[in-house]
Amino acid sequence: MSCEQAQLQIGADPSDHTPGLEEHVRDCAACRQFREEMRALDANIRRALERPPQLAGAPRLSAAWRPWALAASVLLAMLAVLSVWVLRPTDTLAHEVVAHVREEPDSWLHRQHVDAQSIDDALRGAGVKLDITSDRISYAQSCWFRDHYVPHLVVQTAQGPATVLILRNQRVNARQTFHESGMSGVIVPGPQGSIAVLTRGGAPVEMLAAQMQQDVRWLPDAP
Amino acid sequence: MRNSQPESPVSSISERLSGADPRASMTQLFESMRPDLLRFAHWLARDRSLAEDIVQESLLRAWRSRDTLKDRGAARAWLLTIVRREHARLYERKRLELVSLDEALDIQAAEKAAESDGDLFTLRHAIMRLPIEYREPLLLQILGGFSTEEIARELTLSSTAVLTRLFRARNKLRTICGMAPAPDVSASEVAP
Repeated sequence: MSCEQAQLQIGADPSDHTPGLEEHVRDCAACRQFREEMRALDANIRRALERPPQLAGAPRLSAAWRPWALAASVLLAMLAVLSVWVLRPTDTLAHEVVAHVREEPDSWLHRQHVDAQSIDDALRGAGVKLDITSDRISYAQSCWFRDHYVPHLVVQTAQGPATVLILRNQRVNARQTFHESGMSGVIVPGPQGSIAVLTRGGAPVEMLAAQMQQDVRWLPDAP
Repeated sequence: MRNSQPESPVSSISERLSGADPRASMTQLFESMRPDLLRFAHWLARDRSLAEDIVQESLLRAWRSRDTLKDRGAARAWLLTIVRREHARLYERKRLELVSLDEALDIQAAEKAAESDGDLFTLRHAIMRLPIEYREPLLLQILGGFSTEEIARELTLSSTAVLTRLFRARNKLRTICGMAPAPDVSASEVAP
């Protein structure tokens, strides 16, 4: 059994115990590691599937609990300030992403959605496609960043605008969270690069990043 | 003139039937599975009220063909299959649209406030956003407990195609959870 076959079987069913797979995994550290990761992921998938989204309801607090809720909010705010300090960027890529966005402050002022042609223009030459046609993209430019053209988008959300940079040529090994210059964001890995999502307000960057990971198609032949 | 009562959905059947009626135990069996069916339908349809409609219609269909269920031990898989087909019928009939970026952002942002575990939130959102061809076999496998061969039969796919889809579904979720994506498999999918 080849590693590709083993990983296909593991990815399809991490609990698979067929003799051929067991034999391969016993002798292949990479596939053994892959199986451990996929089993951990599967446990989380099972937990996630226990309750669909939207079934959750925020519990209402009685009047007696409100002072405690206020105290908890203050504590959370303090923790948030602390985490901003702790999570200040040490990564150069995150720093440069923030610096780039700061150079285009007008990007967050646009409110009208851009048309599909403008989005296509921003993506052209970046080696990516986007599977969304959102009328909340209010800014789409192709920007020069680290010797490559990258799409620079602004997505309007209920909590304010969020910037998305699709960085085909900038690989990261794992998700990176950062806070700098009043902006907070995340850089997530993609098959052939990474995606940076950041906001000055409370836009849901994690969720948007997760969505972009699904919606961005990385073309095989990048310029 | 009074019209005769139409055949009732399970919820009202249970009120009409006594414990001595053999149909009552069937009703109880169906009712006991309603939460599982609703959860399954919700993940498929990605909409709570739509899921309730699907489950109600499925239970009616199941009730009408209850005589074909010979083994009560297989009731869960049988009902899940009916729910899946009912969803597929609805999907074909109405050409249901995918949850849009904007809707998802609004719904999910409101939900996040009540969610304590950010990773699970992200994962739920990611599963919800999986294309139906990946989401469906994953749900059948994990929520339904179906084997690869059973999923292949239900979806009229080859076993290889099911393996590929399950692999890709998990690989997408893996990426979203911050792990490096595994190289995509080269096994060719067979069109449904």
